[in-house]
Amino acid sequence: MELKQDKIVLSKRIEALLSGQRPDRVPLFHFTFGFAARNVGYSIASMYNDPEKSFMAQLWTFEQYGFDSTPDFGYASYGEWEFGGKVRFPTNEWEQAPSHKSFAVQSEEDFKKIRLPDVKKAGMLPMAMEFSKLQDKFGMPITITLGGNFTIAGNICSPDKLSRWMIKKPKLVHKLLQLATNHILEVIQYWVDTFGAERVRPRIWEPLATNSIISPKQFEKFVFPYLRETSEKILVMGIKHILYHICGDHNLNLPYWARVPMGNPGIVSFGQQVALTTAIKYFGNKCIIAGNIEPAIIQNGTPQQVYELCKQCIEKAKYAPRGYMLMPGCEIPPMAPPYNVYMMKKAVDDFGWYD
Amino acid sequence: MASRKKTQELLKGLYNAVVFYDEKAAAELSKVALEESIDAYTAITDGLAAGMKKVGELYAAQEYFVPELLLCSDALYAGLGVLRPHIKVKQAKVKAQIVIGVVEGDIHDIGKNLVKVMFDAAGWIVHDLGKDVKLEKFVEEQQRTNSEIVGLSTLMTTSMLAIPKVIKMIRSQSTNVGIMVGGAPLTRDIAKRYGADGYAENAGTAVQEGVRLVEMLKKRKAQK
Repeated sequence: MELKQDKIVLSKRIEALLSGQRPDRVPLFHFTFGFAARNVGYSIASMYNDPEKSFMAQLWTFEQYGFDSTPDFGYASYGEWEFGGKVRFPTNEWEQAPSHKSFAVQSEEDFKKIRLPDVKKAGMLPMAMEFSKLQDKFGMPITITLGGNFTIAGNICSPDKLSRWMIKKPKLVHKLLQLATNHILEVIQYWVDTFGAERVRPRIWEPLATNSIISPKQFEKFVFPYLRETSEKILVMGIKHILYHICGDHNLNLPYWARVPMGNPGIVSFGQQVALTTAIKYFGNKCIIAGNIEPAIIQNGTPQQVYELCKQCIEKAKYAPRGYMLMPGCEIPPMAPPYNVYMMKKAVDDFGWYD
Repeated sequence: MASRKKTQELLKGLYNAVVFYDEKAAAELSKVALEESIDAYTAITDGLAAGMKKVGELYAAQEYFVPELLLCSDALYAGLGVLRPHIKVKQAKVKAQIVIGVVEGDIHDIGKNLVKVMFDAAGWIVHDLGKDVKLEKFVEEQQRTNSEIVGLSTLMTTSMLAIPKVIKMIRSQSTNVGIMVGGAPLTRDIAKRYGADGYAENAGTAVQEGVRLVEMLKKRKAQK
């Protein structure tokens, strides 16, 4: 009897997809911060303010749960601290990630005073660099995780203000978005200068531009031009692949997202709000598709429900033209039942192999 | 006393000020309404609140999104600030009271704020506890105000786990209360499993769900 090898080979399957080859099996991609912390007995905060603990907790957890991806470092409220606001790291049992404490820009006057931060010193970036040096030491792809332009702008001035200003002060919003765009590009240039473009894989999360907040017309006017500019300039730096986590309900924005270059191939991950068949329709020919196991089901469902959901995702997307990775639709809930998390690995092992 | 035509014009103006998010017009027309001796309660219900109802419909139809809703609510509150002190006490039929807040560990409050606006516009008394609210605070506020409804909001999958806990805490102190929940990770099914009486997918459906729970409480009381 010939058995297929069941060996942890972090990133190999993903590298195969990125080089245009079909791997032996659908890769399992993480979105695992607080869960990894709890898994190894660290505080959730350490995932965001202690690069070494964050790296090791993820590495050990990925090995245990059979994830094919490699650790990364970041959070959705990125931009606030870097531009002069304050974040609060999670301390109590109900907190999941760093959250807003104060925003750098609370008025138009504040905006006039704001400057592009020094990417070597600002906010969490020194920790992110320390984390990337660990990735380098372990021979892994170098990732830098940032918020998207719109999310960073919202983290500079607060999502409420950004929303109001889109209608009342659109010129100011465009200035904020250009500032966010320039910042993203400066950060990525710093990573490229440090590690070389070939190894750097930016990961950009865009939760704020969801249709739960803004309209597709607002997306077209305020988000799309800056996303496109950012992506085009990142690719000009020599970077080959950008991962966009298109977080939440972006269904009405997808025609615009599909015009954002993401590399060859790019990687797009989705929440449960975007059907995988829809994702393949828009992105399948140029991007690896990843997603979209509903985190609330990982948290609240039975193991059988998680397993069945994973099976359905694999069956829908396994043969996407540029490949598919099974991934949670957003962060795995830190308190998720461990056996539910394991169900993702069981599902790729049972249904993810290619003949 | 304003003529019927003038009254209708002003009510329409208040309605439009909310629908087209003109905060200044909402405040100014509210003052004019008072100067013209238009009843404050009528100006609110048939002007501002009717406008907010339309805004809810536009939101449900995906013609309006959060930026528009926030500005509409600014216009609503600009008008309410002028008119509310002039409501005659016996007219102020309070539909019900709701204690509302984002549970501990979560600072995402846009959704909760929009729900608050809808209840305000519908004539409820809203006790807004804000965001990252300690669980015991929900219990205390419900007890203090004797509110019929408690509305719990969350966006994160961690703070979501506080919901069943706070529901138990509230129920241990009060049996005649309806609890409704909302927020991105929640569904009607999860809400039920957590012990909630109601669930609202978005701000547009929240008041309707609140009214349903109030009716449920009345029936329950009548059966006792």
